[in-house]
Amino acid sequence: MSVATAKPRPDADGAGRNRAYPLATLIRRRGKRAVLKGAAYVILLALSAFVLLPVAWMLTAALKPDLVSVFTVTPQWLPTDHWDWVNFRRALFDTLPFARYTFNTLVIAGGNILGTLISCSLVAYGFARLRFRGSGPLFYVLIVTMLIPWQALMVPQFLMFFKIGWYGTILPLIAPAFGGTAFYIFLIRQYMRTIPRELDEAALVDGLNRWQIFWRIVLPLSTPVLTVCAVFTFIYNWNNLLGPLIYLNNDSQFTIPIGLANLVTRAGTPWNLLMAANLLSIIPPVVIYFVVQRKLIGGIASVGLKG
Amino acid sequence: MAEIELIGVSKAFKDGTLAVNDLNLFIPDGKILALVGPSGCGKTTALRMIAGLEDLTSGTIRIGSDVVNDLDPGARDIAMVFQNYALYPHMTAYQNMALSLRIRKVPKAEMHRRVHKAAEILRLEELLKKRPREMSGGQRQRVAMGRAIVREPKAFLMDEPLSNLDAKLRVQMRSEILRIQQELGTTTVYVTHDQTEAMTLGDQAAVMRLGVLQQVDTPQELYRNPANLFVAGFMGSPGMNMVEARLQRTDDDLVVEFGSHRLVVGEALKAADSVRAFVGRSVIVGIRPEHISDASVETSAPQGSRLRVPIELREEMGSEILLHFTVDAPPVLNEDIKEIHADKEPDVLEALEEQLESRRSVFVARVDPESRSRVGDMAELVVDTTRLYLFDPATGRALGTEARAAVHVTN
Amino acid sequence: MTKPRRRVLGRSRKREERSAYLFIAPWIAGFLLFWLAPMAISVVLSLMDWDLLSTPKWIGLQNYAELFFNDRTFWVSVGVTLKYIVLSVPLYLVTGLLLSLLLNLKIRGITVFRTILFIPSILSGVAVAVLWVAMLNPDTGAVNDVLRQIGISSPPRWLQDPSWAVPSIVLVGLWGIGGGAIIYLSGLQNIGAQLYEAARIDGAGAFQRFRFVTLPMLTPTLLFVLLTSLIDAFQVFDTAYVLGGSQGGVGDSLRFYLINLYNAGFVGGRFGYASAMAWILVLAAAAVILIIFRTSGRWVYYEYDPESER
Repeated sequence: MSVATAKPRPDADGAGRNRAYPLATLIRRRGKRAVLKGAAYVILLALSAFVLLPVAWMLTAALKPDLVSVFTVTPQWLPTDHWDWVNFRRALFDTLPFARYTFNTLVIAGGNILGTLISCSLVAYGFARLRFRGSGPLFYVLIVTMLIPWQALMVPQFLMFFKIGWYGTILPLIAPAFGGTAFYIFLIRQYMRTIPRELDEAALVDGLNRWQIFWRIVLPLSTPVLTVCAVFTFIYNWNNLLGPLIYLNNDSQFTIPIGLANLVTRAGTPWNLLMAANLLSIIPPVVIYFVVQRKLIGGIASVGLKG
Repeated sequence: MAEIELIGVSKAFKDGTLAVNDLNLFIPDGKILALVGPSGCGKTTALRMIAGLEDLTSGTIRIGSDVVNDLDPGARDIAMVFQNYALYPHMTAYQNMALSLRIRKVPKAEMHRRVHKAAEILRLEELLKKRPREMSGGQRQRVAMGRAIVREPKAFLMDEPLSNLDAKLRVQMRSEILRIQQELGTTTVYVTHDQTEAMTLGDQAAVMRLGVLQQVDTPQELYRNPANLFVAGFMGSPGMNMVEARLQRTDDDLVVEFGSHRLVVGEALKAADSVRAFVGRSVIVGIRPEHISDASVETSAPQGSRLRVPIELREEMGSEILLHFTVDAPPVLNEDIKEIHADKEPDVLEALEEQLESRRSVFVARVDPESRSRVGDMAELVVDTTRLYLFDPATGRALGTEARAAVHVTN
Repeated sequence: MTKPRRRVLGRSRKREERSAYLFIAPWIAGFLLFWLAPMAISVVLSLMDWDLLSTPKWIGLQNYAELFFNDRTFWVSVGVTLKYIVLSVPLYLVTGLLLSLLLNLKIRGITVFRTILFIPSILSGVAVAVLWVAMLNPDTGAVNDVLRQIGISSPPRWLQDPSWAVPSIVLVGLWGIGGGAIIYLSGLQNIGAQLYEAARIDGAGAFQRFRFVTLPMLTPTLLFVLLTSLIDAFQVFDTAYVLGGSQGGVGDSLRFYLINLYNAGFVGGRFGYASAMAWILVLAAAAVILIIFRTSGRWVYYEYDPESER
């Protein structure tokens, strides 16, 4: 072993190579690293507890019986002798109508995913691949609409939909998705531009028309970004409060966020059931998040880069 | 199957520069034309215009009896092999090859037959179920070829199809392409920047420079009888040795003088009018490396064909030896030469510039392996002066081409 | 700019152009119907008095005049929103960055921590608010229980105390800071290792490496996060609605701008008035974004120009 010539690396673990260091320095270095690492774990564990404990607390609250107040004077962190799993069923079907709210929310989210995927992929392909006069300025307009918050337009949009009799239906919550969402168009376009143009050209030579190139070549190759868009759309609609709040006026159409928000502000709310419903409501986004985690974070990362 | 004709084809880019300038080409039915030139010479643009991937600014393209100017690529009945293969990543080899037939609604059985026939020709039957990412570069190349073959098109268009392969595979695939092309007899336009590929593949080769066609001929003719300095310098490896010289009359002979060297111009060249017109003026002399031999081997050579020069480098190639030697005259470094070396060999240009400064040129001779000349020796070399090339320094035009044609006939 | 030279397009180019317009047609339609038309209507509407039922009345700039000079709740909502922005934006910016540094450590199990800490940011504002309204209950909530356990005898009354209401929402937002950290994280992971190695060779310590490599290279990400968190802060609604209701919480302490707007339009039926408020919001947000963009050249370093490709 060449002790004399090998230049010791400060973070090398091989004992032989570190012989060039005085023992004390070595211990100090190792010790410092261990302490830092330990500190990092302590902080990370504390933060994880900060995130997870409220969820756990929500679960215990959801399992309590009606008569035991959630808000006992000294809060119980465990439901002790009460494990009322039936509360979840009651929140969904019997006492609270969260099954129906869930169904309503799914219908809206599904419609939005459908509309978003169809319109945004078409438009993104047009901007990513085809040459046409005005493509530059139009794309600029698209970017600008990304910066205008929807809330600024919610009043006139509401009036328009009200005028054509769509107030009180879910149509105003779905129809705009078929007109494309600037952000997703941008995202998909960026992705499509990474697909080699030669593929389009090979397909042109193979006799495919633009539509066939889109449908058979570019779209199948864009599934990662389409998944990201579908997930974003789902989560946005699953969580959306303001839109449904404005357009829906009938309890039978309400979505989960409205249902939850209404219960909080109402007197005499069964808090155990509310917590159960809330807990159920966070399951789908979390599950989807776990399933597509990699793609999702990749998608967010690409957004972050383009800023 | 069909002939292809380009008539006065031009392509202007947005800034007004001409990528292709008044190109006229005719490829007879069943023949293969190599379109060759350094990068930026417009060869790929020309090919893409034939394919329909680029619009023409002016001119006419005919494939068979149809003018195809306004036809979409898919309607031109041509197949293309791309540089990076452009295989559809989400499809198997079979699907890649079958797609164009599916689009054309070819019956299933016929489609199946054609794909399998192509696979057989290309020996890729066992790859049919694989996707591009599971294949090697050579296999992808075969599938790309297969995609072209199943079409049974009027013409194949190939855009540097071998440039992504390693050297050994490239040679192998080159003969494969040649075999298939001859087997099928499909008219082919083959774009390459590699003159060796153009030499070995083309029935004919067309050399382009900055959008302008320089010469079309059989590869042999291009090599033996280049129309100008650019073609002469581009074809051949190692390239033609070139030096600026004075053409003088002494007694009955025409001699070229460069530095301390004199070579007597061969009889045939001497007789040519275009050569005589340059007597007393400067010309560019070109000598192919294989036309220089070692005097110790070739003892009978007359005085007017000898060069006494210092050997700088000796490269043993087995069947031959490359001797690099210096000549005490500045090298040719005009726009043509710069264009030839621009894309791939920037260090060649640097070396030339250095030589220009020190007013000496490095020549290469391809000599018999018997040669005993060593580095540092003053060697006696013999030039086959019947094979000298002379060029007009102002225009680059080759002089005495009519004479050389005659020589090559008598040989 | 290209020369204004008009060349007749080839036939295949014309076909390409026609199909291009077909492909982008959905967005063109959507843009006209759901953006341009509403914007035009909104401008006109902001100059009107209209409750949806009676005939609209043209009143010029009166809505704006009333907002600026004669509407106390408007200024309350502006104040609440500004207070929130001042408290939350810098806090989220810094804590998100710190968290991302922590999550960027190459230690065992780090992906698990990343996953856990990211979870809250995908939950709905409503779900989070519902959870925290219970957690923050001053008498029975878990937060004050913990505080009392560790010896704080009279902890804040959170949402029921007007001076603590906005800070409460800021703290609730901190629960979801993992979302911002993920964006920083992707920025961190895009910094080339050679830069750190070069800095190391130059003798830079850990802090100096952060100061002279990480921070400058992260400025594009910082700009992005700053802009998005500002835009979000202008538009707080869900959390405030759940925690404080449409009336703006105890003593208007949670009367955020959008809550106030919603209240005026969809509860009070003053749609012209709400439109005027929307335009003020848009202009204010645009001004802030513009100022940040204008000044960003001084502190944002791009390794390469990301927009140069187009």
